[in-house]
Amino acid sequence: MSMISKENFSETLKFWPRHNEALYRRLESKNSWLEERRGPREKGDPDPLENEMVLNIGPQHPATHGVLRCAVRLDGETIERCAVDIGFLHRGIEKMAENKTYQEYMPYTDRMDYLAPYANNVGWCLAVEKAAGIEVPERAQWIRMLMSELSRITSHLIWMGVGLMDAGAVSVFLWTFRYREDLYTIFDHVCGARLTVSHSRIGGIASDIPDDAIDLIEAFVADFPDAIRGWEKLLNRNRIWIDRNVGVGVLSREEVIALGMTGPNLRGSGIPHDIRVFEPYLKYDEVDFTVPVREDGDCFSRYHVRMEEMKESLKIVRQCLEKLKTVRGPIRVDDAKRSYPSKDEVYYSMEGLIHDFMYTDTGVCPPRGIWSYHAVEAPKGELGFYIQSDGTGRPFRARINAPSFSNIQGLEALMEGALIGDMVMLIGTIDPVLGEADK
Amino acid sequence: MATGRSLPFHFTPVDGPRQTEAGTNPHAKDTTFVPDTVEALQGRFGGAVLEVFLYAGEHTVYVDRSSVVDVCRFLKEELSYEYLADLGGIDLFTDEDRFEVFYNLVSFSAKKRIRLKIRVPEAEPVAPSITPVFAAANWNERECWDMFGIRFDGHPDLRRMYMPEDFEYHPLRKEFPLLGVPGSLPLPPQAPEAGLTLDPFAAAHGSKPVKSFQEARSDLADQ
Amino acid sequence: MAPDPVTGGEGFLTTRVDAVLNWARSNSLMPMPMGLACCAIELMAMADPKYDVARFGSEAMRFSPRQADLMIVAGWVSYKMAHTIRRVWDQMADPKWCIAVGACASTGGMHRCYGVVQGCDNFLPVDVYVSGCPPRPEAIIHALMDIQEKVRNEYTAADDSGSGDRRPEPAPLRPRVLTPGGDRVISPVALYDQENL
Repeated sequence: MSMISKENFSETLKFWPRHNEALYRRLESKNSWLEERRGPREKGDPDPLENEMVLNIGPQHPATHGVLRCAVRLDGETIERCAVDIGFLHRGIEKMAENKTYQEYMPYTDRMDYLAPYANNVGWCLAVEKAAGIEVPERAQWIRMLMSELSRITSHLIWMGVGLMDAGAVSVFLWTFRYREDLYTIFDHVCGARLTVSHSRIGGIASDIPDDAIDLIEAFVADFPDAIRGWEKLLNRNRIWIDRNVGVGVLSREEVIALGMTGPNLRGSGIPHDIRVFEPYLKYDEVDFTVPVREDGDCFSRYHVRMEEMKESLKIVRQCLEKLKTVRGPIRVDDAKRSYPSKDEVYYSMEGLIHDFMYTDTGVCPPRGIWSYHAVEAPKGELGFYIQSDGTGRPFRARINAPSFSNIQGLEALMEGALIGDMVMLIGTIDPVLGEADK
Repeated sequence: MATGRSLPFHFTPVDGPRQTEAGTNPHAKDTTFVPDTVEALQGRFGGAVLEVFLYAGEHTVYVDRSSVVDVCRFLKEELSYEYLADLGGIDLFTDEDRFEVFYNLVSFSAKKRIRLKIRVPEAEPVAPSITPVFAAANWNERECWDMFGIRFDGHPDLRRMYMPEDFEYHPLRKEFPLLGVPGSLPLPPQAPEAGLTLDPFAAAHGSKPVKSFQEARSDLADQ
Repeated sequence: MAPDPVTGGEGFLTTRVDAVLNWARSNSLMPMPMGLACCAIELMAMADPKYDVARFGSEAMRFSPRQADLMIVAGWVSYKMAHTIRRVWDQMADPKWCIAVGACASTGGMHRCYGVVQGCDNFLPVDVYVSGCPPRPEAIIHALMDIQEKVRNEYTAADDSGSGDRRPEPAPLRPRVLTPGGDRVISPVALYDQENL
C-alpha cells in the first residue's frame, strides 16, 4: 500500500501516468454507487474530505486473489469511494481466438479460470458444438459432467482456503490443499495434466476415463464428505468467522441483479438462478440435485451457498459414476469433419491420418454468417461464449462472458461504505479469478 | 485520446447473417426461443425493430441504434427482462455499419433470454449508453470502448477497461495486428531512475516510445 | 611463502565466513511469490503438505519485497503489469534472485499476443527458467534447488583478491550418487545407465 498525494499526481506516478491519473480522478468524480444508494449528501453532514486518505492496494497484494488493484478513498476506516482497476493480466484472448481454429483455441480457455479449467473447456466445446450443430455421444456427456463437477469442487476449495487465510486461519489452506491434491491426482489420471487439462474436444472428449481414475474418484467421494463436515463444524459456529462474515457485504436482491453479478453471489442473495437449471446442458436435466439458495445476501450466506454447492456436486458425481457403469459407447462423434478421429485410426490408416491433419488444419466450420451463444454454470457463475462464424475454421468473433468480470464489477459497489478491514473478506467472498476477468 | 490511428490492413469482410431453420440444433434451448417477445417488440416499436434472426433456436432482434435505450427499458419494465447477462461489440469490417453491439438480456421469472443488436457506423462510432436502465452495463460498455473504440453516449465513467489509458489503439478492431503495434506499449526502465525501454521486437522495428509516456501529462481534467 | 594449506592463501574471513553466509542464505531463501496466473496455483501447491517446500527452508513466503530475496514470477506478464513487477523488483534488497516459472514468464509461451511481454527477461534479470505450462510443483522445487546452488557459488571478495587463483569449488548441493568406487560424483546421465557405473 502506498499513499498518493492528491495535489500532484504526476510526481508520484512513475508509470502509466495518464492511466493512473484517470483512475485517481475517478475517486473524485460523482456517480458513485454509494451516493445512488444513500441519496445525495445533506448539508449538515461532516465533510469526509477533511480527513480523507487515498490508498492504493494492489496489483501486487496477497489478499487480492491475483492482480486486482483497488484505489480507495478512506474516511477514517470507512471506504468512501473505490475504483477497481483490472487488466493486469490482459493478453487479448478474444483477439487470439480470431486467429486460431476452434480446437486450437480450446487450451486457451484452460488459462481463463485456472481454478476450474475443465468447466471452461466444456463451455467452449459446447459453444462451438452449438454453433456447428454437433451432437455429442452420451458417454462423453456424462464424463464431461462428472469432471466439471469435480472442477467446481477444486475451485470452491481454493476459495475456501484462500478466503480463510485472509481471515487469519492458515491451517485451513493446508487442509483444503490436501483434498485439492487428491483432485489433481484424479485429473492427472484422466487427462495427463494436473491443472490445465485440455481434455474436452469438440464433439466429445480426448480419451475415455480409465478404471484407476474411477477408483480414485470413488475414494475421493467416500472421503470428502467427512472433510466438509469437519470444516462446517469448525466454521459454522466459529465466533471469529461469524463476526467477520455476518452482515458484511450485504447485497439485496435488487442490487445484485442491477450489478449483474452471477453464480454463488446471485444465489447468496436469494435468486435461484443457475444455468444448470435455467438452460440445462449436458445431462443436468437427468440428475437429481438442488440449487442452494440463501436469502441474507451477506458474506456468510455466500459461504453457505458454496459449501452446499460442494455437497451437491458430490451428489452429481455419485450419479455420474453410477451412470458411467451402464452407459457405454463412443466418446467422440464418428465424423471426420466434426471431430478428431481416434488415435488408432490415425496411426493405422491413411484416411485417419488425413482426417487428423485436416481437422488440425481447418477443423470444424460452422455455417457462414451465423452466431450463437452458449452458457454453462462455471464455479464462478454464468460462463458464456458468443461465437460468430464466417464459414471458415476460425471464429470471426468469439466473445467471452466471464463471470468474474461481472462479479468484480459488483465489488466496487460492495466496497463503498464498508470498512477497510473487511476489504479482504469482500474480495474473497466474490471469489474473482483475474485470468478470466481480464480476458 | 485518439480513437485509433488507421493502419494499412486488408481483410475479407463477413457476409450478412443467414437465416437458418430452427429446431434442428441438438443444443437449442427453450429459453432463447422467444417469439412472443419479438412480437411484443414489433407491436410496440414498429419501425425501430429492423430485422429478426433465428439460428439454433436463438432469437436476435436488430433494433435501431437510437431507440435501444427505450427498447431495453420496455423489456425491463414490462416484459421482466431484468438482468443484463452480456454486452459486447463486434467489428464486421464492412464499409457501412461496421460495428455492432449486442445485448443479452435474461428474464428470471419467465425463464427467457433475448439478444438485441444495434449497428454502429464507423464514421460515427457512438452508441447510446444503457447504464440508466441496466447499471451492470457500466463495465461492459467500458470494455467495448477499450476494445472497439465505440463511444457510449451518457456513460458516467468511460475509461479504458483493460489497456492503460496511455494506449492509443483499440485492439479488437480487425485492422489491429495480433502482435500489437511495435512500441505502443513500453517496458519499464532497467534502472530505478532510467527511461522506458522497448522489447526487442519493437526495437528491431526501430520504434521509439510514444510521446505520451515520456512526459507526465495532466491534461485529463480539460477533457 | 607457501600458501596456507587450510585457506588456500586467502584470509580466513573471506573464505569461511562467506561460505557460511552463502550456506545460510541458500537454506533460508524468502521467496516473493509474484503470482500472476495459473502458475501461481502450482506455486501454492508447492507450499502444500504434499510437496512441502519447508524442506528447503523457503516456506516463508514474503509478500513484501523488502523482506524477500527471491522473486518467483509465475504467470504471463502483461505490459501493464510489467511496470509493477519491475518496481517491486527494484524495492527488493540485494542480493536477490529471480525465477521465471512456466512458459509464459520465460518466453511469452502460448500467449503470442499484443498484451503479453514475450518473456519477463525483457525487463528482469532472470536466474532460472522453469519450463512447463504450468510446471509441476516438483519442477519449481527443482528451480529452487538451482537457485540454492547458485547462492552457494556466489561471488565473494576472495575471488578477486590475492593471487588470482579461484577458490576451490564448493561441495555440490544435489544429492550425490555414491559409486562403487567411493564418494565420487557422477553425471546424471549415468543414472540411466546403471550397469556401466
